[in-house]
Amino acid sequence: MLTRTEGIVLKTQKYGEADLIATYLTSDKGIINAFAKSPRKTKSRFGSSLEPLTHAKISLWGKEQALPRITQSDIADSFRQIRENYRDFVNISKLVEILISLTPVGIPNKRLFSFFLNILHIVKSSEHELKDALHLITRIRLLAVIGYAPRLKGCGKCGEKSLDFYPDSGTTLCTKCAVTPDRAGKPFMRINNKVIHFYTHSIEWPINISNRLKPGRETLSGLSGLLDKHLTYLLSKKLRSSEFFSGTAAQFR
Amino acid sequence: MSGGVVENLIIELTRLPGIGRKTAQRLAFFIMGMPGEEALSMANAIIKIKEKARFCKHCFNITEDEVCSLCTDPRRNREKICVVEEPSNLIVIENTKIYNGLYHVLLGALSPIDGITPERLRINELVERVKEGNISEVIIATNPNTKGETTAQYISQVLKPAGVKVSRIAYGLPIGGDIEFADEVTLSKALEGRNEMK
Repeated sequence: MLTRTEGIVLKTQKYGEADLIATYLTSDKGIINAFAKSPRKTKSRFGSSLEPLTHAKISLWGKEQALPRITQSDIADSFRQIRENYRDFVNISKLVEILISLTPVGIPNKRLFSFFLNILHIVKSSEHELKDALHLITRIRLLAVIGYAPRLKGCGKCGEKSLDFYPDSGTTLCTKCAVTPDRAGKPFMRINNKVIHFYTHSIEWPINISNRLKPGRETLSGLSGLLDKHLTYLLSKKLRSSEFFSGTAAQFR
Repeated sequence: MSGGVVENLIIELTRLPGIGRKTAQRLAFFIMGMPGEEALSMANAIIKIKEKARFCKHCFNITEDEVCSLCTDPRRNREKICVVEEPSNLIVIENTKIYNGLYHVLLGALSPIDGITPERLRINELVERVKEGNISEVIIATNPNTKGETTAQYISQVLKPAGVKVSRIAYGLPIGGDIEFADEVTLSKALEGRNEMK
């Protein structure tokens, strides 16, 4: 059966001599995997349309439950500006890894597709003074869209004010709620009001005016560390792209 | 299928890239029909490559000795290093016969999402070679895809303090193809990298 859809290439994996398996976030089928015959050959008709982050209109042949074959792929936007910028690409890789790890395969989510496409457009054209802040905001917004954003506005159980974030609960907890017998000795992170304000504005403000947020370095690194801990707990492992970034970022300062 | 040995050979042959079961069957029957000494010589070649082949201690090309023949060749230009992802890329560049410098094989490409970090490649060894040697140019010939591009950007950044010229092989259209079939990214790269006619 031939189906047509539009999708964003999240990642590709070499298969056989010159073939690829591409993972797409599609507008109407959610995350899918598809097979492409010989795109790695220099004269392939696919050209660069299977490079990560490319937004393309694709035709697929075969059953959706099995691995369909990509028969055509026309680029709508290559987003090559992101791929050609080391920091942007590594930061977007974090989003892609979160998406692939926390989103079920084959469940349509139009809102997620539009959100991710919008993020790519914003990062591509952004002249954000603090690009690190923009990347952090996109991560927070993605977690909110897929339903895994941590709660930092008051205690997650009783709503009381609290500055102690518990990764195992995904929320801040007040001293009263945190000391129940079943929670004894659970690790937490002390955060400050600046982190909470920046986090709240990142979620509530429209992303196109996020450049008005001017967080300090400490706020950025504090919140970034909090999200890393939150994700490590959710995934039971560290994000590979996060480790990659922390290992190589010093070269690009 | 007839018996264990043939089936065993078919299974082993299907491990090779691009070889499916049907091709493996054809190859297995071809090997069965080969004269004994030819088949044994093929088997010995496989055993020898596993026993003797190793990476050159300078460039990480595949060699039988501690240092490969390219690194020891006195006729090669020792001021240039061409950086490639895999030994197979080196062979293709050698076939062009227009490059006469040295090589450095990274044994992979950086990939944030797959967790392939610089420590897993031979990037530190490249930086050491550039610092220690009298190198005037490093030519980055990683694959023209996202992983290759990320690797090229990283290498160019880590080599900046060494003050060496770092160049990237050109992007463009394959010879013998038609422009109408080229995608916009390849075509725009070809336009950006255009040369003046001599």
